[in-house]
Amino acid sequence: MEGVVGSNPATPTHILSPFLVAVLYISTMDTLAKLQILSGAARYDASCASSGSKREGLNGGTGNTSSSGICHSWADDGRCISLLKILLSNDCIYDCAYCVNRSTNPVERASFTAREVIDLTLDFYRRNYIEGLFLSSAVLQSPDNTMERMVRVAEALRTEEQFGGYIHMKIIPGSSSELVRKAGLYADRISVNIELPSQASLQRLAPQKHKHAILEPMALIGREIATSLVERKASRRAPLFAPAGQSTQMIIGASPETDFQILRLSEGLYKKMNLKRVYYSAYVPVIADNRLPVLAAPPLLREHRLYQADWLLRFYGFSAEEILSDDAPHLDESFDPKTAWALGHPEFFPVEINRADYATLLRVPGIGVLSAKRIVAARRFSLITPEGLKKIGVVIKRAKYFITCSGRSSEKHDSPPGLIRQRLLLGDSREAAVSALPKQLVLPGLFA
Amino acid sequence: MNSYLYDGTADGLLSSIAWILEEEPDPENVTLRERMDTLFEEGFTIGTDATLAESLFFRLKHHAPDAAHTLYSFMLAEKEGMETSLLHYVSLAFKHGDKVKGYLTHPAVRDIINVAKKAGRELHRMKGLLRFEKLQDGAYLAKMEPDYNIINPLAYHFSRRLKAQHWFLYDVKRRIAARWDNGTLQFGTIEQFTTPALSEDEKKVQALWQAFFKTIAIPDRKNPRLQKSNMPMKYWKYLIEKQGE
Repeated sequence: MEGVVGSNPATPTHILSPFLVAVLYISTMDTLAKLQILSGAARYDASCASSGSKREGLNGGTGNTSSSGICHSWADDGRCISLLKILLSNDCIYDCAYCVNRSTNPVERASFTAREVIDLTLDFYRRNYIEGLFLSSAVLQSPDNTMERMVRVAEALRTEEQFGGYIHMKIIPGSSSELVRKAGLYADRISVNIELPSQASLQRLAPQKHKHAILEPMALIGREIATSLVERKASRRAPLFAPAGQSTQMIIGASPETDFQILRLSEGLYKKMNLKRVYYSAYVPVIADNRLPVLAAPPLLREHRLYQADWLLRFYGFSAEEILSDDAPHLDESFDPKTAWALGHPEFFPVEINRADYATLLRVPGIGVLSAKRIVAARRFSLITPEGLKKIGVVIKRAKYFITCSGRSSEKHDSPPGLIRQRLLLGDSREAAVSALPKQLVLPGLFA
Repeated sequence: MNSYLYDGTADGLLSSIAWILEEEPDPENVTLRERMDTLFEEGFTIGTDATLAESLFFRLKHHAPDAAHTLYSFMLAEKEGMETSLLHYVSLAFKHGDKVKGYLTHPAVRDIINVAKKAGRELHRMKGLLRFEKLQDGAYLAKMEPDYNIINPLAYHFSRRLKAQHWFLYDVKRRIAARWDNGTLQFGTIEQFTTPALSEDEKKVQALWQAFFKTIAIPDRKNPRLQKSNMPMKYWKYLIEKQGE
């Protein structure tokens, strides 16, 4: 930990006596140093959502939740900060190869007391820094011991402090179902990290974590959420159980699974376990280990493409088998997965904007959920013209190869997919596409 | 084509629209603008009636709740020169109900919705980016300089969130403030503002937040462009975590 304040004492405020300053100084050092260690250790968790829950604030209490979620800041890596994302402790008994907190890694260790976490959460919340708390932890003595400490923090926040803000809690794999249930009563969202996309990789890189210890609590949470929804329908006073649902996270690029395997896994999680979100986290080499690949940079583009494909699964009516196959198991790096699918399915296009149904519109590159809905709404008033399409928010430079407007189109639809591919890559002008064709005569120096 | 004038106030605008919708056979063919009191100004001036303005809003809310929400957000933007568009939008909203939002090929609908969306976006953003500082007397103060006049709905948001605190919002440029104390919300203008003293532990909490902000970013993924596009620099002035940058 560089820059921990030991060598660089904070300037004491003049209003305090020297003695008080010393006391204040030591206690600040403590929480500040711990916060630096335990937020630094939590930053590889990708989840930031604060949405999906609508908790009314209690009288005399602090906080409510907003169903759309609120971002409070954006960190230097551009990711949103919504929750106070910390570990309760980084003092881990496990030795997972990819993890910065693995027991054999010589990092500084720290653990918060419950009081410290509660005070940090409330102090930050009252100043509107955060939407709530994201609490995870390394495995301290045993999964149950750790989970119990975490649940105690959430319980105190809800019952003693009347805290109504958002709480996201990690479930430690292997903790008892009783503790998992308790976590769901206090948290808005709970998540069990799947960590790696296959049992084999898990065994190799995280030997102390077992597939069933991850999947069992997930299934339990899924059942509890479903039961709670039924009970809430019958009586509005029935207790909430993780009203913002459950999510999970896996590391991309630390193990050999293909994108196809990953997407099929996500699809299963959405369908069978009713997950709200699967997060993908590009593997950042934080520690050398001969079981891990050596990467020049984290595979950010791959992560991005997986998120795009994930959106296709959740909002666009695609299945994993449509996006990828055993023969082509990886997502195209140069095209988003929807464009890649469209280029491979010329028989589906062109789509007529003024007639196609919503599901068909969604399959057109350059048309998103919002613009598809707008197209359907706008057609009630008048035929849509190419001009109107632009105003609706359709990305014309991508969509134009795949649509007609009242039978007309700016593009020839019998163009071979190869040409469309090239023009999509090189931008708008025909000249650019032509000049990129091979065998073009280039006079050296002419365009210097 | 008839042209109408109003006094430039929000009430005047809404009551003129109500009047025109009542009296004009074809409201989508008349214009409405602010009276400038110049010589030879053409047009019929409509008087301002706050009750009429209010009843227009509630009738619209009953008839087309989404359109009423758009109207509300549009008014926050305090945009001048778009009165005719607003008149046509409201007229169409009464005719088509909430389906009017699909009528994006109509220039008035598109313009009004676009402005409303911008104001709504800033309101949502400010719900996250507002920063309170604890004062010596235990109250909390948040200063801001938003583009749009969003203090009303913003204060409402915090009245449901930070119920147990005594707090103030202060719009520095417009010199208006909101105050929440003991379950009541009040608004007022501020003639002269003196920054009150901060509570003793305030700097300590701010230092904790700054430290958290720094360590939560993954160094290998540094991306200042993305940060700025999500959090434009115009908001940095009052962000504790962005002080000294």
